Order: sequence, then structure tokens, then C-alpha cells
Amino acid sequence: MSKELIRLADCTMAFDDEVVLDKINLSIKDKEFLTLLGPSGCGKTTTLRIIGGFQTPTSGDVLFDGVRINSVPPHKRTINTVFQKYALFPHLNVYENIAFGLRIPKVEAKGVKVKLPEEEIDRRVTEMLEVVNLRGFEKRRTTQLSGGQQQRVAIARALVNRPKVLLLDEPLGALDLKLRKDMQNELKRIQKAMEITFVYVTHDQEEALAMSDTVVVMDSGRIQQIGSPEDIYNEPKNAFVADFIGESNIIDGIMRSDGVVEIFNRRFQCLDGGFEQDEAVDVVIRPEDVDIVPEDQGQLKGTVTSVTFKGMQYDIIVDFYGFKWLIQTTDLSPVGSRIGIKIDPDGIHVMKKSEYSGMFGDYSSYSEEYEEISDASYDPEEEDSGDEE
Amino acid sequence: MKKQNRLGSRLVIGLMFLFLYAPIILLIIFSFNAGDSSAVWKGFSLHWYGKLFQNRLIMESVYTTLLVSLLATVIATVAGTFAAIGLYSLGRRRREALLTVNNIPMMNADIVTGVSLCLFFVAFFQGWGTFARWFNSIQSAVELPDRLVLGFTTLLLAHIAFDIPYVILNVAPKLRQMDRNLMDAAQDLGCTWMQAFGKVMLPEIKPGIVSGALIAFTMSIDDFIISYFTAGSASSTLAMTIYGMTKKRVTPEVNAVSTLLFLSVLVLLVLSNLKEVRQEARERLGTTRKSSALDRARQKFAEPRYLWLRRWAAGVLACAFVASVGFLSYATSSRPVVNVCSWGEYIDEDLITQFEEQTGIRVNYQTAESNEALYSLLKSGGADYDVVVPSDYMIGRLIAEDMLEPLDYSKIPNFSLIDDRFKGLSYDPDNEYTVPYTWGTLGIIYNRAVVDEEITSWSALYDDKYAGNVLLINNSRDAIGEALLYLGYSVNTTDEAEIRQAYELVADANRRGVFQGRVMDEVFQKMEGGNAAIATYYAGDYLSMVDNQADGVDLAFVIPEEGSNWFVDAMCMLKDAPHQEEAHKWINFIASTEANLANMDYIWYASPNREALERYPAYYEKRYGEELDPEIYEIMAAPPETLERCEAYQNLPGETLSLYKKLWTQLGVD
Repeated sequence: MSKELIRLADCTMAFDDEVVLDKINLSIKDKEFLTLLGPSGCGKTTTLRIIGGFQTPTSGDVLFDGVRINSVPPHKRTINTVFQKYALFPHLNVYENIAFGLRIPKVEAKGVKVKLPEEEIDRRVTEMLEVVNLRGFEKRRTTQLSGGQQQRVAIARALVNRPKVLLLDEPLGALDLKLRKDMQNELKRIQKAMEITFVYVTHDQEEALAMSDTVVVMDSGRIQQIGSPEDIYNEPKNAFVADFIGESNIIDGIMRSDGVVEIFNRRFQCLDGGFEQDEAVDVVIRPEDVDIVPEDQGQLKGTVTSVTFKGMQYDIIVDFYGFKWLIQTTDLSPVGSRIGIKIDPDGIHVMKKSEYSGMFGDYSSYSEEYEEISDASYDPEEEDSGDEE
Repeated sequence: MKKQNRLGSRLVIGLMFLFLYAPIILLIIFSFNAGDSSAVWKGFSLHWYGKLFQNRLIMESVYTTLLVSLLATVIATVAGTFAAIGLYSLGRRRREALLTVNNIPMMNADIVTGVSLCLFFVAFFQGWGTFARWFNSIQSAVELPDRLVLGFTTLLLAHIAFDIPYVILNVAPKLRQMDRNLMDAAQDLGCTWMQAFGKVMLPEIKPGIVSGALIAFTMSIDDFIISYFTAGSASSTLAMTIYGMTKKRVTPEVNAVSTLLFLSVLVLLVLSNLKEVRQEARERLGTTRKSSALDRARQKFAEPRYLWLRRWAAGVLACAFVASVGFLSYATSSRPVVNVCSWGEYIDEDLITQFEEQTGIRVNYQTAESNEALYSLLKSGGADYDVVVPSDYMIGRLIAEDMLEPLDYSKIPNFSLIDDRFKGLSYDPDNEYTVPYTWGTLGIIYNRAVVDEEITSWSALYDDKYAGNVLLINNSRDAIGEALLYLGYSVNTTDEAEIRQAYELVADANRRGVFQGRVMDEVFQKMEGGNAAIATYYAGDYLSMVDNQADGVDLAFVIPEEGSNWFVDAMCMLKDAPHQEEAHKWINFIASTEANLANMDYIWYASPNREALERYPAYYEKRYGEELDPEIYEIMAAPPETLERCEAYQNLPGETLSLYKKLWTQLGVD
């Protein structure tokens, strides 16, 4: 994981004046697992399609191994794609689906067309069936397979061509939760085994954190943050990232000096620095970083307004001076009780103000927001039609 | 109660189907009739089917129909499929708009489509003519044809034009069902767009393409109206030929060919529906479907290693197709040809074959359904006939409007055989343009089993005694002409008062309920079956009615004492006819005694050829082994003294014609 394989330089994509991608700069290293994460319409699928060659950026360059490939058509790129809803060929059986790419004569140097011998095709398809655990399914029609099996055929069909990069567009979106977890492991295993670069598109932040080497958080056609899953979670760059990745209480604060931030007129110790004195900032406090203490010992005091049992912990909403916080705790505090809280310095993350400031972080409409974020029936088509028009 | 309901609904369904299918079933039954009536059953026979296959007019139009339909289907399917794909790469709003536009030609009245295509082609030909003349004048290396006419090419273009929307309509849903990522996936796996189209999109949308093609083919095969306006003179589809044949009467031969047309369209529809049903069943059953031997064979055939076989099969089919098209164009273009337009059932077709064998000239024999239809066809400029056979008054009109070419009588020695009675008639007083083809008389036909007196006067037509039993001829000139004769006026009068008086006679009888209806071709069925007692029609047709009259019907023919109309149909050549040499040969051939005898025997209209007229009784006796009833001969060819009482129609001036038209329309309302 060292050398740069793909670079997007100032890539902009516009459909009829509507800017879908705004000067994206992105570097993808060889053999890394990179995830493009963001809500629908954020431009992640468009970015993937630019890499795959299905769309040419309106401006900017796409480099592959240092060579500009803006106008190289998909069939000439050593990149393969696993599509949303798999896009398996319904008229072909499992074996022929996987063999599809191998049967296309490749044009070698001097325009000579080379066809792979049948034995070679058979060997590679069989090998791929082994990798994705689908031996014995060769003659099945793809419409007779379960979602997970179809998914694996799609992966095998792409990988059998030995691409340098595999693009995966919401590949697990249509699977149920249990199967999704299994397939996450499966994909990670395959990526390690095949030693190729994966560029993965998802709107599911848990999936992104669990699988990736690098996460690219996108919104409104711009990259918000690039980093390791830990970086993204612990050091979100702005309110959008903080809100999108995990649960966050985002509060207006004022940086009094390095290591001291003021919230609700109280000063808290923190580990961040490098801001102007008295600069207005966004303060992120993760729900699990808050300790509940008796009211008189608390740095802040509030009233519990709702309690939800989550199995491992309770999600409680606490009203502090009219601002509602989400706190995750193992101790039950009944609705209506008064509590105090303490926050350790490493539980506080200070961010510069951004365009997203004030848009997120209040849990007064908690339940609906939670529903929206974890909505498994999210329809990737919406994004598609957005691109198309 | 419930049971009763079910019985009731079954009855309704039964009646509905009876209503829908009874006419077709009747047509199919009568196509097996041994006699040549469409009303009276004379026993089972395949005679008409046999006759059908010997009828070159029908066989040629079957060939034209199949060729046009096949070519149009293939081209429209390819074009329509790609058009549909193109539509699908557009945004949703534009796509929906264009699909709506695509539906309009299908909903549009055929007649509007037909007329507008005809106009379009004619306008293009004019523009082309100007361009070609200019182009030929500035250089001499390439000689462009400057006179284009409606024909096979325009027919084909029209069919392609109306077939394409059906293909798009069938392919579009398949494209909509198809996962949009499939094409991307195929290209991602190394295909170019065309490869991806062949390997992925085509198999996916194939059911839509096949059903689109089948529907396009069906539409092409049974189209009449659009073909009628775009085929011009040189080609005729089956539907057009059938229509031409019904000009005189619906013979069982028409029933037979209609039956075959119906069955072939039925088979196509069943095929396309079966395909759909089977596909649905396959999708529903999924794994549980047992594969038949045919399916296994097909699967095997679809395997990549049989690719060469599929390619060869496709290649052979394509070659065969190209060869047949090539053969047709060779057959039609390399031989000299003469384009003839006549009436349905108006020639012994052996004559065409004889002429072709003798001269090597191909006869392109077409039919029109009336003088007026022929006139408007010629006026529209789309037809390029050489020889037409209009009736006397229409000839006068064509001459007056400078639409005929004078004949070179030195090339028609047989003209001397034409009896002097038929020369120098009012429509062509100096014999410059015409050679008579047939002649005949109009008279009263009545059923002696019902009418107990001998009819001698036109008055019978207006007599309350026969109220509800008289058939009025549905043609203003004849219907009012009869009344004029009864009143003692000339059929060619231009005196408005006389014409109005004659009209009043007819209208009054109409108000009193004397007429059962106004008929043309229906007269055959009505009179043969004894469903009406009195009608007026042509002598030759009376003879064929007698041949087919049902038991208990006893038909008679009379030329009333007040006199009647007699008519001449004559061959003439159109102005600037492209094949004048051939046209003269054809006219001379048809004017010969042998040809006149054959025609007289076939159509039972009198010949204008002096020898043929004299020799016909002997000819008849020799051919049928029995003597020709002199009474019948007299009806066929009215003797000179009878003819003296008769008057031929002359072309009337415009204002008189419009008076006729006005009165005739009024009769329907009065």
C-alpha cells in the first residue's frame, strides 16, 4: 500500500448546469480499500462512474498509473465494476455470466484479436467460483439465486478479468442486515486474497468504518474529509462529517485559549488548540463520551426527556438549557429525573465553523433522524435518476 | 338464482362471439361453395381455392404483399429497434414526449396517413423531376431519371413508415424493464458498445423485437388504405386486388382468398400470443420447468461453439432474401412491360399469358373499382398506366381534359374488325383515341316467380304494387336516367327542369316506400336469393345471376319499351404513357377476334368485334357441346333494332353533373 494508482485532479461534473461534482481531488493507492461515503446525491456514484469510464468529467483529469485516461472507454480500462443490483445477464447461467469477460476477444498490440482458449476460460471461471464459494451453481440461472449468491456472481464476474481496480457501487444495499455483515467480511477477505484495489461506494457509515483503509466522506459534490476510519470518527473536520459518522452532539462553543473551550458559559478542558482566541467553534461530544453523575456533581445539569432501551445501553435524551443531547449510558435514569454530566478532555472535539454549522447536532427531533440514517430501504435509483436528468 | 345468472352471462358471451365471428364463419363456409353465388349454397367444393392459385392477378399480388410485408418488417424492425434504444438514452421528459408522438401515427386514420404519404411522394417526385432535369442539363456523365412515379418503392416506404411505430411500441417496454446497468456491465467487462448490444441488449429485448416484427408484419399484410394511396399503378397488394375484384361482385374466389388472408393473420397473432404466454409461464415456473427436446436443442444451438452454425444459417437466410429481392427486380425491370388498368373480373386471364408468350412483354394488370375512382387516381398524378378501359362518358371527359394520347391506328390493324356501329361514337367522333372493348345494355331484371305480369316499362320501378321489392341502382346517372327515359326525355339532357322532374319521380317513389334499398354489387345476392323482385342492372351480369339463381327463383331481363342506356367500354392510352409501343401491341391483341371470343365467353358482355359477335354462338356450341339459347344471345348482344331504342351516356357539363350530385345527396334525406 504505497504507490498511487488513480488520481482525480480537479474533476468537475455538471449535467445541464447542475454541478454534481465540484473540483474533486482524490488519490487512490495501489491495493487499498477506499470507500466513498455520503448521502444519496452527494456525487459518490458519479465519482465511481468517472473512474470506471462511464462518464467523462466536464473538466479536470483522471490519471491511471500517471497516464491521463479521461476519454478511454470502459472496455479498455483494467478496471471492473460490481454494479448496484448486480446487473447480472439474465439470459446467461452463472458460469456464462462469469465467463462473459473472458470470452470477449482482446485486441493485443498491432490490432491482433486474441481469444482465450476454452480450457483457460474454464480454469479461471472454476477458480473464481471457488473464491466466491459458488461451486456447483454453474448451470443455475441467475434469477434462481438468492441475493447474496447473485452478489457473489457479480464479484466473480468482475474479478475473473484480473482487474487492477475493482469498483463496487453500493454492492450490499439490497441485502438484509445479517447477510450484509457476512458479505462485508467476505469482501474484505477477497480483497486481501486477490491483492487489488477496491473502490467502494456506500451510504452506510458503519459499513465504511468496518471495511475501509481510507474513507472519503462526500456531500454536495465535494469531498468533506479523507482519512482512516479512526480519523474520521475521532477527528471529524466539520459538523457534516461529525453528524454523518456515528452519533454526535454538536454544540456552539467559544475557544477561550488552547485547551479551553466554553460551552453554555462553562469552561471545559480539551485537547485541541491552534484557534484564535475567542473564536466561535463547533464542539462535538460523542454520546458514549458523556459520564452521568449526580446532579450536584455535574459540569452541566439537565432533565431526562426520553429513554430508549437499546440492548447494550440506553439512549437517553437530556435537555440542557433548551438544547437536547443524546447520551448513551448503561445506567437507567428515568424520564423526568434531573442529572449532571461530566466530560473528559479527550471526549471533546473542537472544529472550525463551516457551512454545516447549526444544521446538525440537536436531538430534539431525534427519532426521525435516526430512522433516516439507518434506513435500509434506501433506494439507490433516486441517485441514478438524478444523474441522468 | 346464481345459476341463472351464470347461464345469462354465458348467453351474452355466446351472442357476443357469434356477433363477432359469424360474418367471418359465413365467409369461410361460402369459400367452399360449389356454385358461384355468395347467397345460395350449391354443395361443397375446393374449386375456388384451385382457381385462386391459377389466378395470376391474385398470385402476383400475394407475392407483392409478402415481399412488401417482409421487407418492410425487416427494415422497420431494425430502424424501430434502434429508434427505441435512442429514445431510451434521452431524458425521461423528452422520451415520454417522443413516445407520445410515436403513438400518433398508429391512432391516426389510415386514410389520412395514406393521402398524406401520397401527397408527400408526389410532391417529392415533382421536386426531383426539376432537379434531375437541371442535373442532366449541366452534365452528361450520369443520366438521372426525371420521371418518378408511385410504385413498389413508395409502397415499401409507406409500409416501413407505418410499421416503425409498432416496433417501437413493442421494444420500448422491454427496454424499460431492462436493468440500465446491463449495458454498462457488458462494456465494463470488455465489450465495445456494439458487442454489448449484440451480446446483452439484443437477447434481453428480443421478445419485444419479435412481437414488434410480428405485429408490423400483420399490419403490413392486411393494410389496404395506405397501400391503395401509395402503390401507384405498377403494384397491387392482395387487399387491393380483393377490393378490385369486388367491383363487379363478391365471388367465392374472393371468399377463398379472404379466408386465406384471415387465416394467415390469425396464425401470426396466435404465434405472437403463444410466445408471450410461454415466456410468462417460464418466468413464473422458474426452476420447475421441464425442458423439452426442442428447448434442449435450442439451448445446444445457442452454445458458443455452435456460433459458426448460427452465422452460416443467418448468412444463408440473408442470401436467399437478397436473391429473391434481386430476382423480383430483375423480373420486373429487364423485360418490356405494359401497365394496364381495367375492371375486376373483366378479362379472361389466359389472354394475358398468351400475350406475354407471343410478345415477351410483361403485362402489369391492375384494376380500379369505378370510372370515378380511376379518374381521381389519374388526376392525382400518381399512376403510370399505359392502357385504361373507361366507359364512354368518362372517355369524353378524359379527352376534354387532354388526358389521353391519340392512337396510331396503323399499329392496330385489328381495329378494322370492329363493327361500324361502335366506331365514331359521340365520345370519340373521329376515332382518334379509342378501340372499343365491350358493350352492353342496362335493363330491368325481375323475378317471374313473384311478378306475375310481363314487365315492359320503367314504370314498374315506381309502382306501389311492388313496394319494398324494388332495388334502385345506387348511381345517380343510371337512377335518374331511367326516370328520364320513362318521362320520354334524353338521358343526356341538360335541361334542369327535366332532370328535376325525373328526380321527383324517383324521390316520390322513395317516399312511398317502393324501394327496398339502393344497391350496386348487392344486387347479385338479392336477386339470386329471391330477396327482391325487381332491379336494374347490366345484361352481362343478368346472365351470371341466372346461372346462380336459387331454387324457386326465375329471373328475366327486359329492355323497356321507352328504351334504355347502352354503354361502351373502350381501351385508350394515357397521355405520355411510358410504354406506347407495348400499349399498341396490347390493344391490337385484345381487339382480335380470338381475344374477343374468349372475353365474351368469360365475362358475358358483348364484343364490339363483328366476327366475334357473329361467331360466338358457334364458338359456344363447340366449347360446351350444346346450342346457345338464342334468347340469351339476344340479351348478351342486343340486336340492332333494340340498340336503336337505346342511348349512350355523354359527358355532361359541369353544372349538370353538380345538379345530379346535389339531387342524389338530397334523395338520402327526402
